[in-house]
Amino acid sequence: MTTETSQRADAGMAAFVSTTSRWGRITMTTALLLSLAGPVHLVAFTGVEVGGAQIWIAFAAVAATFGVIWVLEPLTYYPILGPAAMYQAFMIGNISNKLLPAAIVAQDSVNAAPGTRRGDLAAVMAICGAAVVHLTSLLVFVGLLGNWLLSILPAELIEVARLYILPAVLGAVLVQCVATMRRPRPTVIAVVAALLIQFALIPVLPGLAMYATALCVATTMALSWFLRDRRPPGEALQEGDTDPVPSDPHTQPAKEGR
Amino acid sequence: MASLNPGPSEGLSAVLPPGPPPAPSAAPPTADGATDLLSVANSPVIWLCALGVFAAIFVQTFVYMRAARTVGPEVGMSRTDLTGAFRAGAVASIGPSLAVVLVAVALLALFGTPAVLARIGLIGSAGTEVASAGIATGTAGATLGGTGYDASVFALAFIAMSLSGGMWMLATLLLTPVLERGGKKLASANPALMAILPCGALLGAFSMLTVTEIPKSGIHLVTVIASAGVMVGCLLLARALDARWLKEWALGFSVIAALAVAYLAHAA
Repeated sequence: MTTETSQRADAGMAAFVSTTSRWGRITMTTALLLSLAGPVHLVAFTGVEVGGAQIWIAFAAVAATFGVIWVLEPLTYYPILGPAAMYQAFMIGNISNKLLPAAIVAQDSVNAAPGTRRGDLAAVMAICGAAVVHLTSLLVFVGLLGNWLLSILPAELIEVARLYILPAVLGAVLVQCVATMRRPRPTVIAVVAALLIQFALIPVLPGLAMYATALCVATTMALSWFLRDRRPPGEALQEGDTDPVPSDPHTQPAKEGR
Repeated sequence: MASLNPGPSEGLSAVLPPGPPPAPSAAPPTADGATDLLSVANSPVIWLCALGVFAAIFVQTFVYMRAARTVGPEVGMSRTDLTGAFRAGAVASIGPSLAVVLVAVALLALFGTPAVLARIGLIGSAGTEVASAGIATGTAGATLGGTGYDASVFALAFIAMSLSGGMWMLATLLLTPVLERGGKKLASANPALMAILPCGALLGAFSMLTVTEIPKSGIHLVTVIASAGVMVGCLLLARALDARWLKEWALGFSVIAALAVAYLAHAA
């Protein structure tokens, strides 16, 4: 493409990032304050007996478990989500079982590679779509009908959903992720790294279980880079950024970088 | 957020036992303890705060979509592509959303509706939030939904969950601008690296999350295999029939089929 269009794209993307960052921070700060206001009201203004010391002890116990994850998780998902979607994802929650899958499906659907501008935009739009479905279904099925559903759904069904939601979502998502990326080397590296961490490393050092995902992400990123296919030079990888979209992505299995 | 931890039960058993001194004056569980708890948990102020979080997300979604529409054409993303991505994201999230709804309903009796909406439905996820609540409850010498779990202990669990979720958001607010600057530098210095890192991160994250489920039980293993198998079938069929809609619905079908298999295996 010409330098002029490239400059316009740069400026446009810069405006997009600055708008989404500003509003992302405003809305996230609002949600942060509101989410704390509820329990603070409960402790301060109702009859419950909770002391400051008790809260600190409980907070310390939770921090001992999740403290590292608070920092690691944003670091882990940033390369996948990009700056704009970070503010969406950590407010909507359910990142790995819902938002990332939605982003992958959408990137595949419009043939945009992750990490490119089109990929970032596809992810943002997908998360918007997922947010609308998610918020609406929560408001209707949990907010309005929740207690009624609780009374009519068989207890066993609810128990099964609670126990097995993660494996039920993740098996399919892993397959979808592999099929979308079409990058054999990083795929093999990722699966082997995960198996080694789970079945060789964690039995020896059980304390690492909490950090397994972050460890696997770091290992896969590093090895995918050092063991990359060096035949096609870098420019082949950047094409996804600017290429016009093929009208039908399904008829052409080959993607950039192969 | 969540999912980097192994899961609620493992987290709990690992952390609970050496609990600090029992609750100073936790009221003994009484017959009306449960109703008392839910009336506190469902109070109007808590409802308002939860709905406020929903509103914040709706506003954000609206602003983001407008911004994406403005920039789309300039970076080679047509209106059709943007709408396509929105629809694909919406459809793909139907299956997981219904699964989250089922889990959320299961937790209503523990936390009341607004706390479940704000904490399990949004912001966090069932795994981390239940783990946080369990840990906090343990520090008061009670168990989640069991002995000693009254309105006061609920309030403690609720504030611990909210503080923990707040720390995630705080980390995101502080780290994202830093990462953005680093990413820009990296992207201009080494574009090939920026093409590989997101793929590696995504594949690494899902491989580990999936493998973590496998050793939990035979049913977990069967559920993972069923879910993956249905997805493979859907994708092959979608390619053979050139059916784009099937690719978008595939996740929903896989989740429901896998939960059905888990249900049968669980009952057996």
